[in-house]
Amino acid sequence: MKGSRNEWSGEPDCEHSKPDKKGCARPKPGEAAGGCAFDGAQITLLPIADAAHLIHGPIGCLGNSWESRGSLSSGPDLSRFGFTTDLSEQDIVMGGEQKLRGAISDIAVRYHPPAIFVYSTCVTALTGEDMGRACQEAEREHGIPVIPVHSPGFAGSKNWGNRLAGEALFEHVISKGSGTPLTEEEAAQPSVNLIGEYNIAGEQWDIEELLNKAGIRILSRITGDGRFGDIGKARFADVNMVVCSRALVTLARRMEETYRIPYFEGSFYGARETGFSLRQLAFLIGGDELDRKVSRLIRNEEEALTHDLLPLRKKLRGKRAVLYTGGVKSWSMITALQELGIQVVGVGTNKSTDEDISRIKERVGLDADLIPEGGAARILKTVRERKADLMIAGGRNLYVSMKEQIPFLDINQERHKAYAGYVGMRRLAADLVAALEHPVWNLVRRPAPWEGARANGTDR
Amino acid sequence: MEPTVSAAGPERVVPVHQPIPASPAGAAKRLSVNPLKISQALGGTLALQGVYHAMPILHGAQGCAAFTKALMTRHFREPVALQTSALQEFNVIFGGEASLFEALDTIRAKHNPDITVVLSTALTDVSGEDIKGELAVYRKKHELGGKLLTCAMLPDFQGSLESGYARTIEALLEDVLTETSRPKKKIRNRVNLLPGAHLTPGDVMELKEIISSFGLEVIAIPDNSTSLAGHLLTGHTPLSRGGVPLDLLKQASASEWTIAVGASMEGAAKLLEKHADIPYKLFAGVTGLEATDDLFGFLQTIGSEPVSVKYRWQREFLMDAMLDAHFVYGGKKIALALEADHLHVLESWFREMGAHPDLRIAAARPYPGGKLPAGTLIGDLGDLEDQAAARGADLWVSNSHGEQGAHRLRVPFIPCGFPIFDRFGAGLTVSVGYHGTTELLNRIGNYLLAAERRDHA
Repeated sequence: MKGSRNEWSGEPDCEHSKPDKKGCARPKPGEAAGGCAFDGAQITLLPIADAAHLIHGPIGCLGNSWESRGSLSSGPDLSRFGFTTDLSEQDIVMGGEQKLRGAISDIAVRYHPPAIFVYSTCVTALTGEDMGRACQEAEREHGIPVIPVHSPGFAGSKNWGNRLAGEALFEHVISKGSGTPLTEEEAAQPSVNLIGEYNIAGEQWDIEELLNKAGIRILSRITGDGRFGDIGKARFADVNMVVCSRALVTLARRMEETYRIPYFEGSFYGARETGFSLRQLAFLIGGDELDRKVSRLIRNEEEALTHDLLPLRKKLRGKRAVLYTGGVKSWSMITALQELGIQVVGVGTNKSTDEDISRIKERVGLDADLIPEGGAARILKTVRERKADLMIAGGRNLYVSMKEQIPFLDINQERHKAYAGYVGMRRLAADLVAALEHPVWNLVRRPAPWEGARANGTDR
Repeated sequence: MEPTVSAAGPERVVPVHQPIPASPAGAAKRLSVNPLKISQALGGTLALQGVYHAMPILHGAQGCAAFTKALMTRHFREPVALQTSALQEFNVIFGGEASLFEALDTIRAKHNPDITVVLSTALTDVSGEDIKGELAVYRKKHELGGKLLTCAMLPDFQGSLESGYARTIEALLEDVLTETSRPKKKIRNRVNLLPGAHLTPGDVMELKEIISSFGLEVIAIPDNSTSLAGHLLTGHTPLSRGGVPLDLLKQASASEWTIAVGASMEGAAKLLEKHADIPYKLFAGVTGLEATDDLFGFLQTIGSEPVSVKYRWQREFLMDAMLDAHFVYGGKKIALALEADHLHVLESWFREMGAHPDLRIAAARPYPGGKLPAGTLIGDLGDLEDQAAARGADLWVSNSHGEQGAHRLRVPFIPCGFPIFDRFGAGLTVSVGYHGTTELLNRIGNYLLAAERRDHA
């Protein structure tokens, strides 16, 4: 069955593949909270804005998931279209392959995309359709790349899907170099591929402005605000930066092996991590001039930031926060919050890798409660026990927080605010102050006029 | 740089309004563009939010539940009770029973819901799993102590949100009504209300108020008005946060009447008739003067109190508002894409306002049967966009996924149905009864007015 564990599963740079581990953890029936492999594949590939994305399956897979992420495009919007074969009972009985070919053809003829990504789902993987062959034939017929993504939901977790998508990108796009060659201008400038940066709320535009100030060009966006043609150029970059997803480390490692492009994992949350990432970029690209430029940039940006944050830090100092997110954010956000004077008293680790966890521990020491699993109830317990002033998490927990009347900041993919880089740090600080100081927290604790003695005026 | 959602940047060269030349006229559609349809399982999950202390379990890969939960939370801005059996590849090959039992064990141990309903998905139906049989085995093995455990078959290769919702209510009623301990003696002045999937929690609250004003006691099945409308009473809980409790649900068999709103609820009403001998009255909808008059006319015949002064005034307000606004509605071309029941309700109401709801797309065929009116197509939002581009439209009414198409055509857009996102108050919007119709009329009228002013500017 396609989508099974294959040579991509034994990722040497992933600690889940080490001998004492049995691969990524199995989701637990009755208490699983995350998305499936199909979800993960979409997260990684949908931000390629000019490509068409066709979901081969019954309606649930696309119908309940499209237009759900805050990944923004600066131009084309074809990826915002929801395309699906919407398989009916009869299609499934008769086999959906013919319908799939028709659907690919309809997209190619009407929308002229530079490429079509075709995603398998549980049902089409189960009925054993040869999606790969259908894609190959369609590619020949229409003269554009038609890329099969074998990511049925039951293949695993969201992270696993990220990795499957990385595999599809490497095998079908990057290694085929289907993009146009570099322009002279592109070739002249040091360049980086951002891997696993999804331009949530436009964060990448802030990052790009910063990198441009340092004289570094983003060559391929993998995949926030991505363009299919640009991703084909990825192999010409000087360095790969894996920004958010550990799951895409495999992609970076394959590119290192194949094209000798060095990579590192970094973050743009908080001044310290941003500075570290910029220095790493300068180091891996090399050259004294770049090094000097980056050092100067960091110094200037940090000075300006410190000045601007002064009044906000006064308000945030000593506030206690519980942080519940996944991956890189689970540690890079800690640094950002600490820079603002906030004490992190609890950290969720259920979506973190072992390496993430050791980085979390480095940052919070013994002061914070690590929350391995247990969902909302467990987070609330930490909030109460540690007397936290606010909760910083994803949209999934937003209404948990509202029902318990705990100030909240959304830092996951559905949000509308960009928090990356020095600019993002200012927004983060301002939003934290706004969340904490809002009058609503007192108003919702106000007793109703018909409750207690005050109701009939006897307390006068 | 401030983040902006760019719809049509300079790079965009995609010609979106050409008809698809590759599919010959009359040929079966093979590509759905911007689907309108929502999976049945989501409809089932929605229905169960209106039953107190309930936990639906989506029997499928964990993504089925994660997507459903995220989408419903986005619409209602409320926590949603839902769990998953988290099927993995080997479960599908060797059968999902073990995963399902593990999920049931975990949920019973951790949350102990009064009502647990297993909702099937396309995956379990295609792999041919016998969920009913599995649950029979589970019930034999475990003492459930009066808690209800049942299932509804909701594959997403059939039907849509509306049928999933209705089927789930039918499954619940079938279970409750065939129980031997159910009350058989009728209780005077008590009625069942079966609100269809198209009604918001706010609508259900309004209907309950209207019905009880006639001296009637109402059991709403389901009752999303006390769960999804928003409240702070229970704090956080993973189970449903309100709705009709199990003991009241069991008393549905003692009611004198059943009032069903939305044709899709007729199957459930018939179950109450069949098992408990309760006559029912079906209303296609309760939006508009005529439709609301029909409900009030009926309530007057079965109620113990006369119509209250409040509603006499509300009816005056509505008629006056209709007169005030009829200028902007008259002759307007309306493009509608909704679930079948909802489509029918709004089509009738737009006609009452002298508008022409001529472009109509339904998400799926009506449940449990019946025909769509002539000229209504089953299709997607891509179809509505093509029709609106070809024939013109003054107003576009659909779920939020339609906004991009309406925007491309520069047609004023009204979010309606499910899902509605990037808007507050989707769950509290009221469009039933005299007051609700007035609200709807003014809300949409203001859009039409604004569009007219722009045209003349």
